Amino acid sequence: MSPLVALFHRNSWNVFRRDFMAWQKYAFSSVAINIFEPMAWFLAIGFGLGAYLTLGKSSLIQFIAPGMLGLAALNAATFDACWGAYERLNFNGVYESMVTAPVDPLEIAGGEYLWQAFRATLYGAIFLVVIAGFGLVHSWWALLSLPLLALCGILFAMPGLAVAFMVKTQEHLFYYFSFVTTPMSMIGGVFFPLDKLPHWLQAIAWCTPLYHCVNIFRALVNGQLHPGLLGDLAWLVVVMALLAYLPVPFLRNKLAR
Amino acid sequence: MNGLAVHAHNLCKRYGTFEAVRGIDFDIARQECFGFLGVNGAGKTSTMKMIYCRTTKTSGQLDVLGMDAATHPREIKQRIGVVTQDNALDPELTAAENVMLYAAFFGIRGTAARERCAELLHLMNLEGKERSRIAELSGGMKRRVAIARALVNDPEMLVLDEPTTGLDPQARLAVWQLLLGFRERGITLVLTSHYMEEAARLCDRLVIMDEGRILAEGTPRELIAQYAADDVLELHAVDLSRAPLDGSVRRREQHGDITYLYNDDNTALLARLAQLSIESTRHVARPATLEDVFLNLTGRELTD
Repeated sequence: MSPLVALFHRNSWNVFRRDFMAWQKYAFSSVAINIFEPMAWFLAIGFGLGAYLTLGKSSLIQFIAPGMLGLAALNAATFDACWGAYERLNFNGVYESMVTAPVDPLEIAGGEYLWQAFRATLYGAIFLVVIAGFGLVHSWWALLSLPLLALCGILFAMPGLAVAFMVKTQEHLFYYFSFVTTPMSMIGGVFFPLDKLPHWLQAIAWCTPLYHCVNIFRALVNGQLHPGLLGDLAWLVVVMALLAYLPVPFLRNKLAR
Repeated sequence: MNGLAVHAHNLCKRYGTFEAVRGIDFDIARQECFGFLGVNGAGKTSTMKMIYCRTTKTSGQLDVLGMDAATHPREIKQRIGVVTQDNALDPELTAAENVMLYAAFFGIRGTAARERCAELLHLMNLEGKERSRIAELSGGMKRRVAIARALVNDPEMLVLDEPTTGLDPQARLAVWQLLLGFRERGITLVLTSHYMEEAARLCDRLVIMDEGRILAEGTPRELIAQYAADDVLELHAVDLSRAPLDGSVRRREQHGDITYLYNDDNTALLARLAQLSIESTRHVARPATLEDVFLNLTGRELTD
């Protein structure tokens, strides 16, 4: 059974509920932290740098705004999948107590996917409201960003959890941030179009899921849908299918000690 | 269904190259209280983890409630309760939330879960602590929350890894009372301890483990009779090398300047020593305990 199937197991929803109950107690600070930093990037680059640049007919801030949705999903899911899940596994005994009940590590992974879907959707939705406030949302299609945010949350949770369950110390999580997520957010088409990048870098960028989800967010927010988006969506689904099971053996191994 | 609560045959557990459990055999009857005694690293916790299906055996046979632990972990977990050494309570949730969440994992939800939670916290004397965060509770209260949580599915068997380690004397006594109550109600109890007194009070039968093996098995009384004696006389700084005591002393041990004489009657032995004009600067006359059995079997020196 894959974690994507386990998503629908009763216990996965209970794992989700656990994370939600814990989060409720510090929801305000969590939201503040997760929104403030990307907002600073958005405003600084969009208005600051954007004042000096235009991209054809579009302004830089118009380009960045939908990209921030992808970045919000990436950050929301990655942060908690890494730090949070590492603590739940190694410090808090959260998973340890779960597996003394009839809960399989597969269902824990499934529950964490659901939880990161929630986080990505919530933080992305707040961003969507903000950019709408700046008049940067041009179509009702933008509402479809919400399910896409959930999908991205699950997708980005997969490698994040795998890393959290794999590493020996918390400091090793920085490898993942420095070598994977930060570079991905630089070349994922969030801040600038990729067509002037060297070809080899474009090829790498094309492989990242962030690039494809940003493509879709941008089309939805601008109301410019085209058939090519189905290809982007297909790639996201392929990456999800490939990574879905990845965290489970690491978690199973750690919990069986 | 009756039969054994746990059956283990030639059970082994290896972590990498480290052999935590090296081929042990034991049977735990239903409704008995069974103890695993040993120092840290004796293999008690690894054995417990196999019983509650947290980890799988490396080789051998292990059946829990008539089911193979390797192939039926979910079914076994559904019917047992577990209290781990460190409680594993969720520090981000309240006491009640901890119990309720656990109930949900067993499919108990809504009103049924709330009622069960209230009932268990009442049983554990935790009224008024429902909304307390785990960090605000004392060690004894945390342990009681962990026990309440373990009872949520009305288990046939309760597995407790060092249930009183780290508790103050009152809290320890409270846990003992609870466990004795569970035994009365017919719940099979499996526990580990390194307190002999605890094992002697609670356990119907126990095994003594050391370095992954079982050294001895029996009721507390049997073990004392077999590996110690009725009484122990501890003498300080005496020379007994020429004293003809062989008839009255079953076993003699020397550690530093303390001599331990295992015998059947301290009063008679003291009289005999007085007759022989052997005087100790200080002596302790006491009944033998499981402590003596344990130390006889594993040696009095610190091993780690």
